[in-house]
Amino acid sequence: MRAYLLFALKRLLQLTAVVFAGVSAAFFISRLSPISPVESIIGRVSGNSSFSPQAIESLRSTLNELFGLNIPLHEQYFNFLGRLIVGDLGPSLIAFPTPAMQLVMLALPWTVGLLTVSIIITWLLGNILGGLAGYYQNSRLLKAFGVLAIGVQPIPYYIVAFLMVIIFGFLWPVLPISGGFSMNVRPGWTPQFILSILHHSILPATSLVLVGMGTWFLGMRSLVSNIVTEDYVTYAEIAGVKEERIVGSYVIRNALVPQLTALAMALGGIFSGTIITEQVFSYPGLGTLLIRAVNGGDSTLVLAVSSVAVIAVASAIFVIDMIHPLLDPRVKVE
Amino acid sequence: MKKWITLAAVAATVAGSALPAVSQEAAEAPPINEFPREETLIINNPEQPATNPGMFNMWVAGNGAAWSNGLHQLSLDTLWFIDPDAGLDGALYNQLAAEPWEYNDDFTEMTVNLRDGIYWSDGEEFTADDVVFTVQTQIDTPGMVWSAPFSEYVESVEAVDEHTVHFTLSKANSRFHSLFSVRWNAAWIMPEHVFSEVDDVLAYDFNPPVSLGPYVLNSYDPNGYWYIWEKREDWDRTAIAEWGEPAPQYVIYRSIPSTDNRLIEMANHDLDMIHDLTPEGMFSLVEQCDTCRGWFEGFPYAHPDPTLPMVIFNTQDERFDDRRVRWALALMLDARQISMASYRGAATLSAIAMPPTGTHPQDYHAPLQEWLTNYELDLGNGETITPYDPDVGLQVAEMVRPQFGESVPTDETAIRNAFGYGWWQQDIEAANTLLEQAGFTKQGNTWMTPDGEPFEFTLSTFTEGVINRMGTMVAQQWSQQGIQVTPEADPQIFAQTLPLGQFEVATAWSIETWGGNPDLSFFLDSWHSDYVAEPGERQPQRNWQRWENEELDQIIEDMRVTEFTDTEANIELGNRFIQLMVEEMPVIPVMSFNVFSAYDTLYWEGFPTAEENPYANIVTNWANSKYILTQLEPTGETAN
Repeated sequence: MRAYLLFALKRLLQLTAVVFAGVSAAFFISRLSPISPVESIIGRVSGNSSFSPQAIESLRSTLNELFGLNIPLHEQYFNFLGRLIVGDLGPSLIAFPTPAMQLVMLALPWTVGLLTVSIIITWLLGNILGGLAGYYQNSRLLKAFGVLAIGVQPIPYYIVAFLMVIIFGFLWPVLPISGGFSMNVRPGWTPQFILSILHHSILPATSLVLVGMGTWFLGMRSLVSNIVTEDYVTYAEIAGVKEERIVGSYVIRNALVPQLTALAMALGGIFSGTIITEQVFSYPGLGTLLIRAVNGGDSTLVLAVSSVAVIAVASAIFVIDMIHPLLDPRVKVE
Repeated sequence: MKKWITLAAVAATVAGSALPAVSQEAAEAPPINEFPREETLIINNPEQPATNPGMFNMWVAGNGAAWSNGLHQLSLDTLWFIDPDAGLDGALYNQLAAEPWEYNDDFTEMTVNLRDGIYWSDGEEFTADDVVFTVQTQIDTPGMVWSAPFSEYVESVEAVDEHTVHFTLSKANSRFHSLFSVRWNAAWIMPEHVFSEVDDVLAYDFNPPVSLGPYVLNSYDPNGYWYIWEKREDWDRTAIAEWGEPAPQYVIYRSIPSTDNRLIEMANHDLDMIHDLTPEGMFSLVEQCDTCRGWFEGFPYAHPDPTLPMVIFNTQDERFDDRRVRWALALMLDARQISMASYRGAATLSAIAMPPTGTHPQDYHAPLQEWLTNYELDLGNGETITPYDPDVGLQVAEMVRPQFGESVPTDETAIRNAFGYGWWQQDIEAANTLLEQAGFTKQGNTWMTPDGEPFEFTLSTFTEGVINRMGTMVAQQWSQQGIQVTPEADPQIFAQTLPLGQFEVATAWSIETWGGNPDLSFFLDSWHSDYVAEPGERQPQRNWQRWENEELDQIIEDMRVTEFTDTEANIELGNRFIQLMVEEMPVIPVMSFNVFSAYDTLYWEGFPTAEENPYANIVTNWANSKYILTQLEPTGETAN
């Protein structure tokens, strides 16, 4: 137990270092953007009006002062670290003075919701079918599925997404192709609202599942194909152990360890958002927010999204590191 | 173990599905049962989903409030509107003002008489105090949208009585009223009784907005994708009542970033008005949907905005400081190919520095045809040419006719309105002569500058769309003539590249006009040489070409002392400007910015059209699109 605690402490220190390095890199990279939020605002405000040149100059100077962009970079960095600890990264520059984290928290549940569901479904389907295909190597159905998985997997995601929009939105218009929920449903914890969310997430989630499943399927099939040749599987078969127990407990379970690690990594990556999915299906989420922040030169908002992603991925790895020794006795903590 | 995994997966899936409810719980949307389709107009909001969906304080710069979500079309209001098209009763609307502005003789004072009987949606009467508060608050609070222009021009503002406002200006300005005159938007009037109670105007969200227009906010998507507006019971106590009752009970503005989805939603009749499509999208829509159409019923479908896409030279680059070089580059271009490449032929060409839209063709393009046809360009070697071809528009029409057949007009006037009048004919020989006269030499197939360097430059253009296609074609045509031109897609062209002068040649625009009025102050005042920045410094918009010319300065100074309403004098000034631009060619005007706005006539009819009743700009994000609502009528079609 002591060894495990020591192991946990080491990993925790690593986590802290990784997060610190990651968010610091995100801070400096976000400041490298050549896009000025002030100029973006001036462009919007004056682009369709007859502002005089003096008025534009005056507005520019006011906004620079208001946004605190005159402060030296190192001061901005230390301010940022101080605010990061309390979870407030400061006001967004494209939604001033709304806190950037408030915008992130508005978008985050959509991304996490959509991706959690689609990744888990993808993972389950891919691994179960892949495991079965690896064990029952002569099954025609599973072979056909393998061919399908290999065929679909390399198709660029946006092609699959557009095809789904055209098929289910136009040729056979049975599913909504844009938005997170219906306009005639009141948001809140009600069955109508949750059903509406599910209804609107069918197309984006299915597109992610279709494209993502192949990778899991092929990986699992390959792992299981190796495991079935192991002696203990052969002995179990000779010993007359039930087939479903061999598949479930002896084969798939052993093959799952690396897949679980990959699942955690995938779940950690959720926080980066799915830009193409959100664009194609007009679906709310972090990806859209990130695009808007980058295009508007809002370094604070870019940093807020990046920091959430860095912390999430690092934490996911930490959790896996913690769970691994418990799942797999071969993993040493010393 | 298997049970564990299954349990965890199910729990995560269920929790994940419901997660969005967490962020939406706080949203204060009222319960909505249904929106009868025959009472609901659904409009595409071309803006991206709002960054700050619950923010309606449009008077603060950069707070993330959406503007084109119906807020400035249906809820806010101001003194005058100037329509880029014909207007319902002329292009100038006296909106909250009862009549046009009144200046004193030297344009240092302006008096406005306001309508009476106009009420905010919360029952407060609109008065002169609201106008005074709007101006004074923005002067006192830097960082608001109109703080800078008000601070620059207003010495004092006072309410003479409940319906009269008097401005004393700090310097003469014959166009001060334009701050309150909507082209796309303008200084909207603030409700004094609401904002005077607010501690921090900059942080106030104005949610729900108190409306001065005929609609109030019904509900909105907490993610910013849609906003629903409902007609006020007392809509007749708003200024729009002068032009009739808006027909739709509900108006929904939907932000749909994907062009394909927009097209599909309209083909499915779930969208009544689209702001813009690609040319190909428009051609596809009219094929798929019998009840859908564009501004023109047939080809080219698109509405020409009062904006003039052009080739812009950085005249502070010495290679482009010579009008002979600029003219040579103009004569190397084939406008027909540019039209085909950019708009698939659906461009409205303009050889002169004036968008061919609104009232400009009648005021400028048609009357100047004779002058243009007879215009002689001196090549500098004793020869002159008459470069103008008055029939380029007709030629483009013939080029697209095989593909688009009967949808292409046959009447000559209709063709000129849709495809433009003429353009400069491609004349490579004359272009070569002009370059040689400017000291350039040709070695093999490569032009060399007077310094002996290869004549090569980068052409900055948009990252996508018709302007990108136009830039690419222009670069290709120049390259074919021995000038190495590299087109560069630039996402920051308006925010950084043009203002900082970090370009050699660009395709963008520096001319935008009122459209429905011949006055050119909207863009031209900023072209005065007083405002031209030194190389490397930031140039105030819109003179991106950084061109200085004494005659131009004189035109601008004459304009500053000419009444906006003196049409004849303003057209004369406009003609002087256009002729000077032809002589000097500091930019190469190409065409109007054609917007492929589409609308579906299944549920609603009475939309403005090019051929029958061009009473308003069909483009949905312009605030003056609200007048369309007064002309609509339900067709009687109901949703199944």
